[in-house]
Amino acid sequence: MTKKTKTGELALSYGRLLVLALLGMMIALPFVWMVGASFKTLDQVQNVQIVAKHPTLENYPIVLTVKPDPVTHKMLNLQYGRWYFNSLFIAVGSTFLQVLTSALAAFAFARLKWKGRDTVFMLYLATMMIPGVVLMIPNFQAMVSLHFINTYHGLIIPAAFSAFGTFLLRQFMLSISPALDEAATIDGAGAWTIFWDIVMPLARPGIIALTIITFLGAYQSFFWPLIMLNNDQLFPMSVGMLNLSSSYGTETNYIMAATVMNVAPLIVIFIVFQKFLVSGLQLGGVKG
Amino acid sequence: MSVDITDQSPSKRSETAITSAAGRRAARSYKQTLVAVAFLLPNILGFLAFTFLPVLVSFWMSFTNWSLKPAVKFEFVGLRNFVDLIGVRPIAEANSGLLTIYIVCVIGFLLGTVGALWVNMSQSKGTRMGSVFIALTGLAFTVIGIAHGLDGLVLAGIVALICGVTGTLSEAELTFGKGSLPGLVLAASAAGLWTFSPAMNAAYVPNDNYFYQYLYNTVYMMIGIPLAIGGSLGMALLLNEELPTGPARQRIIGATVCVVLGLVMGGILWKTVSPDAGLIAGLLWLFAAMGIGFNVVVFRTLFYLPTFTAGVALMILWTALYNTNTGPINVSLSLVFNALHIHATPPHWLGDVAWSKPAIIIMGVWTGIGGTNMLLYLAALSNLPKELLDAANVDGAGAWNRFRHVIWPQLAPTTFFISIMSIIGGLQGGFEQARVMTQGGPAGSTTTLSYYIYQKAFEDLDMGYAAAISWVLFLIVFVATAINWKFGKGLETE
Repeated sequence: MTKKTKTGELALSYGRLLVLALLGMMIALPFVWMVGASFKTLDQVQNVQIVAKHPTLENYPIVLTVKPDPVTHKMLNLQYGRWYFNSLFIAVGSTFLQVLTSALAAFAFARLKWKGRDTVFMLYLATMMIPGVVLMIPNFQAMVSLHFINTYHGLIIPAAFSAFGTFLLRQFMLSISPALDEAATIDGAGAWTIFWDIVMPLARPGIIALTIITFLGAYQSFFWPLIMLNNDQLFPMSVGMLNLSSSYGTETNYIMAATVMNVAPLIVIFIVFQKFLVSGLQLGGVKG
Repeated sequence: MSVDITDQSPSKRSETAITSAAGRRAARSYKQTLVAVAFLLPNILGFLAFTFLPVLVSFWMSFTNWSLKPAVKFEFVGLRNFVDLIGVRPIAEANSGLLTIYIVCVIGFLLGTVGALWVNMSQSKGTRMGSVFIALTGLAFTVIGIAHGLDGLVLAGIVALICGVTGTLSEAELTFGKGSLPGLVLAASAAGLWTFSPAMNAAYVPNDNYFYQYLYNTVYMMIGIPLAIGGSLGMALLLNEELPTGPARQRIIGATVCVVLGLVMGGILWKTVSPDAGLIAGLLWLFAAMGIGFNVVVFRTLFYLPTFTAGVALMILWTALYNTNTGPINVSLSLVFNALHIHATPPHWLGDVAWSKPAIIIMGVWTGIGGTNMLLYLAALSNLPKELLDAANVDGAGAWNRFRHVIWPQLAPTTFFISIMSIIGGLQGGFEQARVMTQGGPAGSTTTLSYYIYQKAFEDLDMGYAAAISWVLFLIVFVATAINWKFGKGLETE
């Protein structure tokens, strides 16, 4: 009897493995097709096959405008490398600032005692409910009057503050034992020392999670750069991709090569940092 | 920045000892506030400049005709934007009385909905009150239906009235069952409202032709939410238990066997059938190998990938997948249709009014199914008290009963959190899809409220009107969240 149950359980778990592999296939197929299409020549791109008959690596240098288009013998009108740099620059800049300002504020909300703390924090939380579009219009007006249109700082500065980041890090900092602060205070440590040498190192998982989330959001941000920029030298990847797909809509092979190069670094980042991301998201969600 | 939070350092103790205790406390609290302000300053400046102030400005803008077009003279227009947006006007004067009735009907429908939810979610007192609500709805529908000769409305009203009165008079234990009764009432009152709508449509037109269509689009696209939540839960349940793959040596052997099998089978299929068949078979074996080698974590990573890479690039990818003539979805579909001798043409997806919304929903489910929601469910599942599951096992509960009576109730707080976040996100969503994939078309069928705001503000440059739409959207989000909160809390304590 026991042996039979065991065999049944084993069969069940192999069944589960099969279901998981099939689900994984469903998730992976669009990506697989994308990679396949990026190796096709233009005359093959209309075929349904994933694997091209005569695969070519040419699409990548063409999109990077190192090589001319084989049909027209002209370089594509793209700034792909530039868009890459812009995306990274904007994402790194706003992530650095946002994590820093959020950590400072979270420390004040979680570890310091002061009058009106909870009221101010409630105000922060309340604004998280307001749709982004409500703020978008007056913020855009402000950018126009500050002459921030078509600038990097017009993209970075508004992204340097977030109620969500403050909230997430506050949750992390609350879970660190307050006894540490007291001990440090008795030793004569100031608030800055406590923040920098005690709380920040212990809140590292939270900091990493927020860094990934913010970086991802900034790297993928679309609405704000779309309305703020009309100079394609400043486009981040997202707006650049839109530009690319509207200019070369029929050359799916180029678009897919561009998409592969856009998505690939994200996949690498994800695989490296997923442990932190998962724990950070779960903490933020479960305790939120 | 070397400021103390408290004055307990030895050097300062002598100084502070002189002042009175109250003064000392006041000075300390003042100093603490000062330190806190120093830490908060950068954040709070940004908060004031980019969040708090814009909220006030946006609210004020919605009462003006603020426009970026130089020809428009700035004016304070009061409620005009809101009337233009949600108001309706009669086509013929004779029918103007219908509006009042319609409003009564809508209020009745809302009351019925709230009542039905109340009956379904809460304990005996709520059941009684909810039933009264349902009865009132039924009464209103019946009276209006008789007065205007609308049979559907009368029928719906009578059904709701019977349900409501029975519920009110009987004890809390309803014989219909808590679940089916409200469903019946909801269906009846929706049907009643539906039969009344043609009369209403013949008599009135909305001031803004698009608003209601786009609101409908927005709500329609939210069909994806329950699908994605259900899928996320299913995936989380699959990933919750480790695969029993044994000790390290066994795992390595198993994985190697899978890889070899994948190479052999993939190679044979590649040569004999087609490269694609080989590739897919090989990949399947590779996934199995990774599952055996690294356990469920591999699939968690794989399922999360679309969420992590989501953005303009993936939408462009899906636009190519959906392409009517050359996209792999339609090419495969026509191959299948041909093979089965079905005389049908695959849908035009993003180019067809009827298929554009489902296409975007399918993409949304694919993107979100293994995303953050699945991770939240996994976290919740790992926190399930083990004794509960063991107890259920001892009682001989089957898999379904274990899920329905043990796991599902325990997951209620997570489901509640996820559904609130999804509804908030869903009501505000659809901008990127519309901008990147369809330009809101065909015929406005994929324009959601957020894309409408973008069009009004940044294409028509009509900032005041756009601000008004954004506040109406906020109100909708707020009401939806409040309802969810009220009844979701009831669900949580069930």
